[in-house]
Amino acid sequence: MNERISRLMDGDVDAAEMDALLSTLKSDAALATWSCYHTIGDALRGEPAVTHGVGAAVARQLVAEPTVLAPRAAAVSRPASWAWAAAASVAAVTVVGWTAYSLIDATPAGFAKAAEAGTVRAAQARQITVPADYLLAHQEYSPANALQSVGPYLRDVAASAPLRPAVAE
Amino acid sequence: MQRVLRIPRFLSGRFAPAVFVLAIVATAARADDAAQWLARASQAARQLDYVGTIVYQSGPRVESSRITHLYQDQREFAKLVNLDGPAREVVRNDGELRCYYPDAKLMRVEPSTFRNVFPSLSVEQQQSLSRYYAFRVVGDDRVGGRPVEVVVFEPKDGLRYGHRFWSDGATGLLLKARVLNERGEPIEQFAFSDLTINARIDRAMVEPSWPVLPPDWKTLESAAGEVVQQATGWVVGRMPPGFEKIMEGFRKLRGRRERVAHLVYSDGLVSISVFIEPITGGATPAGFLQKGGLNVYSVRQDDYLITVMGETPGATVRQIAHSVVRR
Repeated sequence: MNERISRLMDGDVDAAEMDALLSTLKSDAALATWSCYHTIGDALRGEPAVTHGVGAAVARQLVAEPTVLAPRAAAVSRPASWAWAAAASVAAVTVVGWTAYSLIDATPAGFAKAAEAGTVRAAQARQITVPADYLLAHQEYSPANALQSVGPYLRDVAASAPLRPAVAE
Repeated sequence: MQRVLRIPRFLSGRFAPAVFVLAIVATAARADDAAQWLARASQAARQLDYVGTIVYQSGPRVESSRITHLYQDQREFAKLVNLDGPAREVVRNDGELRCYYPDAKLMRVEPSTFRNVFPSLSVEQQQSLSRYYAFRVVGDDRVGGRPVEVVVFEPKDGLRYGHRFWSDGATGLLLKARVLNERGEPIEQFAFSDLTINARIDRAMVEPSWPVLPPDWKTLESAAGEVVQQATGWVVGRMPPGFEKIMEGFRKLRGRRERVAHLVYSDGLVSISVFIEPITGGATPAGFLQKGGLNVYSVRQDDYLITVMGETPGATVRQIAHSVVRR
């Protein structure tokens, strides 16, 4: 699905696929992915502020602007205009958050609540479970981490670190 | 069979390599200063005896931990106890690292962790430091009642985070560290709220609170330390400039039959890990994760799961993940 969102943003989606994609975009996860891709693209181009919260901005603009009823010349770049239609249909883009975190493989019942509390503000964008082995294996290689002795392991033992998130996909 | 990865156009646009060329040309002769500063702070963190309270902030969360650190017979011992919520702790006994989760009745052992001990920066890494970060001594300040020197590593491109460090004037020990995102906003911070350097610390103070594990606890022994360094057959097509490969090999991870390829890159300040594992069965986790200043991105490529993590912006780890190919 993410590749389809990516192609949508590139204007590579044809009309037939558009309907399905637009209804998909109504889900929070797809919306978050869409927003996220824009943020990534902007960041790479060094213009991070432009589309931050673009959905909300477009929605506001739509409300503010009068509807033009005059007929329009056929758009040359049709896919691109489809893309903007998609943007307009995105009413409220939530901030992309992904706070899911996996430390240990056991999931004591008492932790489900803590994990939920930790991720309640997240947009539930494709949260992933990263094997704790990966995190520990990586941690020791960072020069900046070496400055802080075991300090960086705070990330691991912090009380609010959810032990196991819900896994999307 | 190898699939050609589609590179979305929205990621490219005006993102021109010229930016990096300019950054290289503009290189100042500060590499030694930055590397020396890092070496001093790292050595202090490893070789001093100290006890103090660390406040960790990430987003809206603020938590504190007690750290006790001892350097004895050229060996490093440390104990970190979480003061908020469950009394989880991390205990370092030289190379070995143990994480205790009393709330989950679980202990995780990392038998032999790699220790990135300064000065271990290669010449290339030192050059990267000055090419891709502007290192500046900002001035003097006070942290935890102690006079400190404030330095910044300001990224020269959007692919890295900014770092601000407060180091103890007398010893070089890092008293406060802040990670700044692309917009210069703090996303993670460690700071000592109180600290005693050169404290009298004995081994008992850095022993775990559970010297003998209660019978109902579970032990997870990680095999992450067992890495066989060799060529893995995988390469990163679009590694951001300045990141040099510092390790490549296969790891045997707990609970997995197949070995996992692990490649580590560093720009002298932070590192990026690339993990490639064969997918065995069913759904695979692909997506994002952010934990303070650490970003993770997972993507599936044919029968492999590629996971990239590093102390860099999410866009950076994503770019890398999508450019991993078979040699």
